[in-house]
Amino acid sequence: MSVDAVFKALGDPVRLEIVTRLSDGSSYTIGKLSENLGVSRQGARKQIQALASADIIELHPAGRETQVCLKPDSLQQARLFIADIEQRWDQRLQALKRLLEDSGDT
Amino acid sequence: MQDSIQREIVINASQERVYKAISDPELVVKWFPETIKGEYAVGEQPIFGFGSHGENRILIVKATPHEYFAYRWVPGGNYFLGDVLSVKTTLVEFRITVQDDGSCKLTLTESGFAALPEDIAESSHQQNSGGWDFMLGRLTDFLSGQ
Repeated sequence: MSVDAVFKALGDPVRLEIVTRLSDGSSYTIGKLSENLGVSRQGARKQIQALASADIIELHPAGRETQVCLKPDSLQQARLFIADIEQRWDQRLQALKRLLEDSGDT
Repeated sequence: MQDSIQREIVINASQERVYKAISDPELVVKWFPETIKGEYAVGEQPIFGFGSHGENRILIVKATPHEYFAYRWVPGGNYFLGDVLSVKTTLVEFRITVQDDGSCKLTLTESGFAALPEDIAESSHQQNSGGWDFMLGRLTDFLSGQ
């Protein structure tokens, strides 16, 4: 599982909506998860498969249905990556602020 | 989940001074990279130098005095030196707006993480601990030396 794969997998509004629905930790059947996504059931199925391939969600066969839930580790990696980028920009912008506010020569 | 980040900072300086600190290479090296090689102008691909940590080439895409400045790069510590146009990059944008009290709000946006190619996001995350230490060191030097 790479951070790159996480971002790629989430770079689609339908996949993002699927992940958002699962993000409270609950599990859905594929049928339930496919409702009201704005795409066909086949289209929804394809996006669910893409998320499973990227290791972002897990599929568990349960009787005749398949349960879907989120793998928290994968999203955690993406969050850490974003937090890291944000933190570095904050430091750079603070240095810029210092430069402008502490010196009169610019 | 997000494809972009946005940060804001209020700076007690005029819009002209803030813009100059972002667009004038002699001032940029006082707060971000240690050195800049090449022409720092729209359409050019100057190279940011981070001391012993490496170099990173950027592509300046737009400069609108005194409001907006933007460049593309392969983010952070990948130290990419090829043609920036040949690879997927993130877009770094600076927007400067004047507030009622005369200070400026600087808004930084970096976008395009979802489009990054294989390995870049991950290696950026891993390698950047070095770059991060370097930036902290620079900041400390700056605060204690000035």
